[in-house]
Amino acid sequence: MSQDASPKPPEPTVTYVVKAGHASAPQTMEVHAAQGDIKPWDLDSKLRVVKGRQPRLDGPLKVTGRAKYTFDISMPGMLWGKMVRATVPAAEIVKIDTSKAEKLPGVKAVWTTEARAVRFAGQDVAAVAAISPEVAEDAARLVEVTYDERPYVTDLQKAMEEGAPTVYNPDQIPDSPKAPVKGNVVGPIVPRRGGQRGDIAKGLAEADVTVESTYYVPVHTHSPLETHGVIAKWEGDQLTIWSSTQSISTVREGMAEYLGIDRKNVTVITEHMGGGFGSKLGASAEGSNFSGVACKLAKQAGAPVKLMLDRHEEHLCTGNAPAALMTVRLGAKNDGTLTAIHHRSFGTAGIAGGAGTGGPSGNLYANTPNCLVEEHDVFTNAGPAAPLRAPGHSQGAFALESAVDELAEKLGLDPLELRRKNESSPVRRIQYDVGAKAIGWERRQKKAGEATGTRKRGLGMANGNWYVFARGSGVGAEVKIHRDGSVEVFQGSQDIGTGFRTAMAMVVAEELGLQTRDVTPHVGDSRWPEGVGSGGSNTTNSVAPAVRLAAHDARAKLFAVAAPLLGAKAEDLDAAGGKIFVAATPAKSIGFRQAAAKMPNEVISAVAERKKQYETYRQDLAGTQFAEVEVDTETGNVRVIKVVSVNDCGIPINTLTTESQIIGAMIQGVSWALFENRILDRNVGTMVNPNLEAYKVLSSKDMFEAVPIITEIANAGNNTSAAGIGEPPIVPTLAAIANAVYNATGARVRSLPLTPDRVLAALAAARRA
Amino acid sequence: MAKPPDDDSPVSGVSRRTFLKTAGVGAAATSLIGAAPGAAGPTVLGPDAVPLALKINGAPRTVTVEPRVTLLRALRNHLDLTGAKEICDRGSCGGCTVLLDGKPIASCLMLAADAVGHDITTVEGIGTPEKMSPVQAAFVEADALQCGFCTPGFVVASTALLRQNPSPTLEQVKDGLAGNICRCGTYSRVFEAVLKAAKATPVAGRKA
Repeated sequence: MSQDASPKPPEPTVTYVVKAGHASAPQTMEVHAAQGDIKPWDLDSKLRVVKGRQPRLDGPLKVTGRAKYTFDISMPGMLWGKMVRATVPAAEIVKIDTSKAEKLPGVKAVWTTEARAVRFAGQDVAAVAAISPEVAEDAARLVEVTYDERPYVTDLQKAMEEGAPTVYNPDQIPDSPKAPVKGNVVGPIVPRRGGQRGDIAKGLAEADVTVESTYYVPVHTHSPLETHGVIAKWEGDQLTIWSSTQSISTVREGMAEYLGIDRKNVTVITEHMGGGFGSKLGASAEGSNFSGVACKLAKQAGAPVKLMLDRHEEHLCTGNAPAALMTVRLGAKNDGTLTAIHHRSFGTAGIAGGAGTGGPSGNLYANTPNCLVEEHDVFTNAGPAAPLRAPGHSQGAFALESAVDELAEKLGLDPLELRRKNESSPVRRIQYDVGAKAIGWERRQKKAGEATGTRKRGLGMANGNWYVFARGSGVGAEVKIHRDGSVEVFQGSQDIGTGFRTAMAMVVAEELGLQTRDVTPHVGDSRWPEGVGSGGSNTTNSVAPAVRLAAHDARAKLFAVAAPLLGAKAEDLDAAGGKIFVAATPAKSIGFRQAAAKMPNEVISAVAERKKQYETYRQDLAGTQFAEVEVDTETGNVRVIKVVSVNDCGIPINTLTTESQIIGAMIQGVSWALFENRILDRNVGTMVNPNLEAYKVLSSKDMFEAVPIITEIANAGNNTSAAGIGEPPIVPTLAAIANAVYNATGARVRSLPLTPDRVLAALAAARRA
Repeated sequence: MAKPPDDDSPVSGVSRRTFLKTAGVGAAATSLIGAAPGAAGPTVLGPDAVPLALKINGAPRTVTVEPRVTLLRALRNHLDLTGAKEICDRGSCGGCTVLLDGKPIASCLMLAADAVGHDITTVEGIGTPEKMSPVQAAFVEADALQCGFCTPGFVVASTALLRQNPSPTLEQVKDGLAGNICRCGTYSRVFEAVLKAAKATPVAGRKA
């Protein structure tokens, strides 16, 4: 995903010399871009629009309630769909009786599953479409399902026991890598990226000091506020789907395949989208085929069908982050030099694989000579996991960075100094100084828990890592300049709340010398040039380079119109402040609109395709976080006072919205650290807290001072030097908070969330020790 | 996509449901807002769709819905006022907040029938994209939204807060918005926007 691994003869390239790295330590670097690509923005670029603080262009629609999300769209004759879900965690379906539902007046279509095996409570069983949501809900309740119930297991550790009920027969195990299988456990799996180097036994033997601890992170659900759902509408063989998705192209491709129709006959639209965090990357969801069901109901009824999940369903079947039980062993010399990192994890992604959490252990502290990451997938009768904001990395960093804190304690070193000693990233070295200053690291208690009184404050820190994911080809953009001077950009990716649409307008405005509001962005429609799925923090850095190329091409075409009017050559022109001018003599100028009025045709249209990704200053994205907490040692209550997040995302296109994403990641991370915990009832196998009050998420009253700091770095391997930011800042948060709690109290909490019961238990254990 | 101003077409072909259940729910909710049932007992509506005369954003609107339909669904599914969102559908997220006689309420917890006789203000009534209220403008300027799905609820709650307390402290803003959940994590920007709007508006201009 990161680089195009092309076995074919090298494409012709063009070499650019760029000023790379951080402004405090710039370095000259050669990059080899594909022919036709333009010189990337770097530390020397004088940017007029990009890097600014631009309020999002769709803001006025959203704050006035006018933005139409998928959930908000209705159309004449539209029916309402409702799914019926399995109420038991393991069974064979004996019978699905829909006769009563079909007889209910107002019911227009019914669907039933062909699958017989139920593996989690919440699986698709049947669905109805009716004239109102109320009638659809009535009809769904009238569907009678007879189950032959089977033994099941919902708990991670119970599922690992010998003789536990197995979720799959050995021949049914879904898409797991080649690894040993024993009961519900698949593994060990050594991840491709950074999973193994050196000899872990040797590294531990060479150590002066070792630590070993086991950590646990429970399941988190994504809980986007707009639930998953679609509206499906057929007109002849043409299918239009309005979808709350992070990937309209995946919906188009998935539905074409599922329904056996051509992709060209499927249009997918996502104008506004109410959150996904990784759960909306598929054609439907990990644990439900609601899109396909809605399309079938619509076909059957001969009417558009809107099928939005409710909050309960959202928790059960649309994905979650795997729970993980992780043992980390570290070895170090007395001076703090790491000799070994061993991370062994057992994670459960419910009925799915892919529960690995070792990523940070294999990639942080890359100078450590001996490293081994061993991941295991453990199947349970629970809804399948889905990527959740830096999948596997927040859990893995919680274990690794808690262990690093424990090692610092044992060595008698400042945890910041221990990390500095083992740092391999020049970017993070800069970030340490910036972050330590912003939190006031010198205020940290030298001896954990030494403060007097019952409300104790402490400081903690942790690192996170992420990667430069970018699609290097197959991404397009179109820029249009109309004769009246109005400008549009068309791009098929969706804005999931990141501010992507506004960032694209800024890139066009930068190239054309306009203001952002002069450019109208059109995104989230599969009829526009091909976009990407918004996962891996890859949207802006995959798409912005194509948008910049298209704008650059449109600008060249407009310059060709303006050149004779200015008595100059097109290549000698520049554009800024709504004017086109001779670069050497800016007084010779013409307004953008005046130039457009002289266009030979009504529209200049420029379509461009993204060029391949090339050399980056750093392949991984560095980040570090510092946190201050206050712990009430009588009640066990943890209050977060302040979090400082220092992050690298290349050159931020829009500093305002980039900061918002960093703040958002800190908040979601603190929410995971303190509150969130999906609880399954082991006696019946269903979810105990499928709502937004018992599945507690952070609210206003829990809010802390959130300080986002961007360390701008060039180059990120594309002509805008943009990299991703949505995921990296959530990686360190869990550990930073837990380490701050330790510093405040001297009590180490190794199991999340940091609820009062766990904190009090850790305090009691610390007193006994 | 907008529905014609003559509002709603009656839902037809709806089955009869338990008469007592519907009447009971209606009675309970009615008494909740203090409209005491008379000696003759509660007014019984439905179970089929009935016309309801509502006052929304200063204008009379008629909606024909089954009595069990919530105010939220009446607004969203029958009047195309989709600013208020159905997120948790049980009063725990604040996404469906509207003003009832100036006070913020969860419209998912009120039946449309019980809103008869009250002034309802939705986010659409607070401002338009062309003419945003000071709160709305401050939200845009401070980037107090990401995906924006919770935003209408926050805007309505913030508007109510500033009407009640024109110069709140940060802690008072946190209290006032404690019933609203944002999943993208925008709280600090929201606080900034509300405090900014409080400063930007002369106190007299914020009554109403």
